[in-house]
Amino acid sequence: MRIPSEDSFTSRLRSAAVAARVGLWLGICFGVTLATGLISHYAQGDSQPVPLPTNPSWFYQVTQGLHVVTGTAAIPLLLVKLWVVFPKLFQPVPRQVREALPTALERGSIAILVSTSLVQLTTGLLNVAQWYPWGFSFRTTHYALAFVAVGALLVHIAVKLPVIRDALTGDVDDTAHDRPNARQAGPVSRRGVLVLAGTSALAAAFLYTAGTVPGVGRIAALSSRSRKHGIPINRTAHSARVVAGASSSAYRLELVHGATSRALSREDLVAMEQRSSTLPIACVEGWSATGEWRGVRLRDLLDLVGAPTGRDVRIRSIQTFSASADTVLPANFADDARTLMALELDGETLSMDHGYPVRLIAPDRPGVMQTKWVSRIEVL
Amino acid sequence: MRKMRGGLIAVGTVGMAYGAWLLLSRQDLGQIVEVVLWLAAAVVVHDGILAPAVLALGWLGGRLLPRAVARGAVTVLVLLGPTVLVAIPVLGRFGAKADNPTLLDRDYTLGLLGFAVLCVCAGVAVALGELRSRQPTRASVEEE
Repeated sequence: MRIPSEDSFTSRLRSAAVAARVGLWLGICFGVTLATGLISHYAQGDSQPVPLPTNPSWFYQVTQGLHVVTGTAAIPLLLVKLWVVFPKLFQPVPRQVREALPTALERGSIAILVSTSLVQLTTGLLNVAQWYPWGFSFRTTHYALAFVAVGALLVHIAVKLPVIRDALTGDVDDTAHDRPNARQAGPVSRRGVLVLAGTSALAAAFLYTAGTVPGVGRIAALSSRSRKHGIPINRTAHSARVVAGASSSAYRLELVHGATSRALSREDLVAMEQRSSTLPIACVEGWSATGEWRGVRLRDLLDLVGAPTGRDVRIRSIQTFSASADTVLPANFADDARTLMALELDGETLSMDHGYPVRLIAPDRPGVMQTKWVSRIEVL
Repeated sequence: MRKMRGGLIAVGTVGMAYGAWLLLSRQDLGQIVEVVLWLAAAVVVHDGILAPAVLALGWLGGRLLPRAVARGAVTVLVLLGPTVLVAIPVLGRFGAKADNPTLLDRDYTLGLLGFAVLCVCAGVAVALGELRSRQPTRASVEEE
């Protein structure tokens, strides 16, 4: 079998008019995933120079849901886009150095764009299903490659801008920028391919990510989560190795403010004034579910040790080896009336896997930062 | 336009450089090497396996299938193909944990089969629509 040349590909579907349109949708998806990804990365940071707002309480739920939805939708779009432009892989390299250098640079940026896009979408997809067949840090790598991918995308857009502009302002059946021999009518029209690509993207995104959406979650057949068991659990008490510590009668919640400190048993917490908050757990993996939480308002606990308002608070868990076991809750979250040290969920005692004896629940905060099995609250 | 293109290239290059620096400065060498391997493998798997496979399907379909059937086949391929790839992590249940019944809590094989049936129905509808629309207008199409 001989190696094909660019002219071996004759379908009129492999056209700039199609590539630019799918590329536009893909660009929108990448823009949304970058923006929402940056929000999520910032929300998980230990120091937030400008704290995120606590209102609306569903803000992170929406941004992170969008992140995973647009990332999944980008997979079919990227595959179609790569199919459309595949002949370019076989373009000849110019002989003269003067022309070869810019071509090499452009092709290099395309190689970076394609490989980082594929890796970003794949690792994100696998993370949703908690499958980690790699030794690198997902969060660090996904964050770093996002800048590389979007940077390469901007270079690509810059190089193609005249073609993109012509293609998007022209008719979808326009052939101005096509190779002369890409004329063969395929089994479907260009418009047909666009409709199919869009439908495929919507279907994949719905099936894979809508599992916890009320009403339609049941038919989101490929979602890793559902509402069957109430609010889903990410890390169980067993895997966090906290079962003994959390069920021990010696358990105390420590409150520390400078030299003042208090140690409360779960009974002490139950004896305090109980409040209710209806708040979502919104996971970085995109799923979210709202629960009716009941427990002691965090602000009431801070008052016990005489903490003034406007102070950040360090929340620690019995769990020791996880990054989320020791986090800082910004002052606006600590002082919010809805922020609870929850003892009950949906009318039942908090289960061990949901963070018994007591867990943090605050509005508009990534699920991974809603510390379970809280052992210590320190005013900073 | 020239200014805009220059600006995009500048911002894009800075973005790539910043990302590369983040990648190289925050993990150990073994991890960085693994990321690079993943980047290379992604291109090899797509350009070397997936794309040629789809190409071969297209080549075969174009020769063996009548136009209406080919239309249906393309419909099924574009709707179902990417979703099958997307489903791999849940179909294989690679991330399942024995102590967490709230993770991967569906029958994914059945779910994917259900979606495949819908896609085939869509393909059949498209093929039938093509057959029906062609018959009365065949003369006019040939005149074009």
